[in-house]
Amino acid sequence: MEDSTPPPPPEEQSPPPPPPATHTGSPTDFLKGVVGKRVIVRLTSGMDYRGVLSCLDGYMNIALEQTEEHVNGVVTNRYGDAFIRGNNVLYISAAEAF
Amino acid sequence: MASQILPLELIDKCIGSRIWVIMKNDREFTGTLLGFDDFVNMVLEDVKEYETTPQGKKMTRLAQTLLNGNNICMLIPGSAGPDAT
Repeated sequence: MEDSTPPPPPEEQSPPPPPPATHTGSPTDFLKGVVGKRVIVRLTSGMDYRGVLSCLDGYMNIALEQTEEHVNGVVTNRYGDAFIRGNNVLYISAAEAF
Repeated sequence: MASQILPLELIDKCIGSRIWVIMKNDREFTGTLLGFDDFVNMVLEDVKEYETTPQGKKMTRLAQTLLNGNNICMLIPGSAGPDAT
């Protein structure tokens, strides 16, 4: 009766564990975290819209509440609700912690 | 050709480190890369936005930001951006 224990598997170089995620990483996770918060949306034209992000979709179409339109740092308009078509969006930036 | 690395694998290796993003127009961003997707939309943290205007370069600081990938031209991993050059 041969004691045929299989050899131990070769020691695999396991990748180091990822650093503890302070927030979530991917764009989808960012968007999930930022809904309902104050954001700054900059368009490719350079105009800023600041307001509360009420919802958005995969095209980066955006619905904002309490919107302020900023041009060169000056408030030029206020809207209760605003829809921004996604193709104009340069970035969405969190204006408060989440 | 066993050890070919895809362009997006290179960017994936940059997650967690500083990256310099140059747009198609006169705009640049630096920040810590938190993640990106198939369109190379990028989530950046501790962001500086640089706008090149006729009056000179204008810098804006931003918190966590989702940058639309549509206008991105070039990514430079590990760089602190135009300030460092």
